[in-house]
Amino acid sequence: MKKNYITIAAGLMLAALPFVGLSSSVVFAMGTTLIFAVMTIGFSFLMGYGGLASLGTAGFVGVGAYIAYFVVEVYKLPISVAFLITVAISLVMGVLVGFISLRIEGIYLALLTLGLSEILRNTFVSIKATIKINTSTLKMLGMPVGELHIYLLIVAVFIVLMLITTNLINSPIGRALISVKNSPSAAQAMGISLLKHRVLAFVVSTVFAAVAGLLYMLYVRNITTSSTQLFSIITSLNILGAAVIGGAKSLWGSTFGTFLIYGIQSMFLSKIKFFVQNPAFITMLTGVLIIIIVMFYPGGLAQIAMTLKYKIKNLSKKTNVGGAL
Amino acid sequence: MLVSFVSTILGSLLSVCITCLLAFAVTLIFRTSTTTNFAQSSIAAFGCYTVAWLFAKGLPVWLGAPVGMIVGAAFGIFIDNFIFRRGRYVGILSKQIITMGFVSVFFGAIPLIFGNPESIPFEPLYNYTKHGVSPNIVIEIAGGELVVTKHALISATITLVVLGAIFYLLKNSKWGLSVRTTASNEQTAQLMGINTHKVTAISWALAAALGVLSAVMYAGSGVMISATFMGAIQVNAFLACILGGFSTFYGPIIGAIIIPVLANAVGFLANFKGLEGIGRWQMVIVYSIILLVILIKPEGLFGKKIVKKV
Repeated sequence: MKKNYITIAAGLMLAALPFVGLSSSVVFAMGTTLIFAVMTIGFSFLMGYGGLASLGTAGFVGVGAYIAYFVVEVYKLPISVAFLITVAISLVMGVLVGFISLRIEGIYLALLTLGLSEILRNTFVSIKATIKINTSTLKMLGMPVGELHIYLLIVAVFIVLMLITTNLINSPIGRALISVKNSPSAAQAMGISLLKHRVLAFVVSTVFAAVAGLLYMLYVRNITTSSTQLFSIITSLNILGAAVIGGAKSLWGSTFGTFLIYGIQSMFLSKIKFFVQNPAFITMLTGVLIIIIVMFYPGGLAQIAMTLKYKIKNLSKKTNVGGAL
Repeated sequence: MLVSFVSTILGSLLSVCITCLLAFAVTLIFRTSTTTNFAQSSIAAFGCYTVAWLFAKGLPVWLGAPVGMIVGAAFGIFIDNFIFRRGRYVGILSKQIITMGFVSVFFGAIPLIFGNPESIPFEPLYNYTKHGVSPNIVIEIAGGELVVTKHALISATITLVVLGAIFYLLKNSKWGLSVRTTASNEQTAQLMGINTHKVTAISWALAAALGVLSAVMYAGSGVMISATFMGAIQVNAFLACILGGFSTFYGPIIGAIIIPVLANAVGFLANFKGLEGIGRWQMVIVYSIILLVILIKPEGLFGKKIVKKV
């Protein structure tokens, strides 16, 4: 319960960002980072609790983006309809991949989802290479919608999905998932359905990725599929990296990891001249950071934070003992 | 019709060579280090940039290629020896993520070291314009023409020689035996007195060098070099590996032959009436076929079924 209140409080703080005088470029960067954070939460659920590796995130992001384009721009329907269609289609895809994951495991599964993502990306390029949404066509509940509204929508979706995932993890379903992760055979022997939980893990990650794609399309409104890295393996790898840096078992940790990979560059470093001239430097730094963290702190930043908390606790205990003496 | 079909299939010769080399590199690392090396294409791109830089300084590509391969091999040994062996808790997934970190490092380092990647001059392994020779070989058969680029033929010869030599060594040399033993079980191999550190280091060096070789071949065909230019080939190589099955060394090679040939065969269908637009869906169709095959036979075409122990 306490966790839920903290999440809601964090959401209110994020929603307040545009109203405290931050420049619109920083808010925009925050918005896109939160969109990537939605993907990362879904991915962390899949990897940290389902124990399944997927490299298909980018493809499902594309599904959301293309549905948003066709529903909102081509058929002029409201955003809520796009939302429903995205969830429905990505749900079906998640179930499909979940079934596949029963037959194929480990590295094969990761490479298979990579293939699936490539199929989706090639399909998108064949359907339409550039997708664009006009601001005037964006409508929610019959009202015209601006960038600020979309930002608030992103924060709301992020917080709701965060709450859903946290509560899923702390429910019997979450505990069953962990047991399936640790030993599928032993879990089955205890009467836990492998099919049900694998499918659930994939549905969560797929739906989250597709919803993130939808939000991205609404927020950025202009994507060139053939040249963008958004639907390529780079995004899937970056999301994986974010989850690992932050710690796949901690949702807020992986959110922070997303912030490190996507947020810092666009929010702070874009002001410093050196980094504007050499944007490649940050890419390199991210890579070095990933390598160091994986080498020495496999639990990610969340683990570092926990260790620090523990040490500080012990420190205060020692001083107490000292005081008693 | 038949002649033009054969000509279309021959058109995939170069991509067959490139994919074969990369697929073998991926398999070699997967078998000895139990990880998929996502940085394969980035190391290859870095080596290719080195060759291009030497070319700009006046060194022909066929002389620069070995230098680039040595640079790539050095990176391979570095990753294996100084990252994988030094990390405190490096498991299978962490190894994958480390190679992914290297993708970022190379993406950043390449523009920093070699400058703006716009249109770097490059040449095929044998420069035809300089020597005043036509770049194509044309054979007239049965009223049609078979066209093959000389670059593709040279690349095919090199690929055949290199892979042939490696396969011969794998089967008949002491090094090959130690690689095969490490691939089947690293711990047991260590107990048998094999220096597995040396084996994995050589595998990484070899794999990285082969990657650079394939990148040089690809760049020689006139593709623009960039940090990401080997990405699509790497995806094909990965899929070729699971199509052929990781459990043998020759399976991925056959997978790597199948994918480009299949792609060109699907592209050939555009000659028929009513299928003109199929070119756009070429890769979608090829990947879907591969996915179906993998679903039916998850261990790959030539893979062995692994029995799981509880």
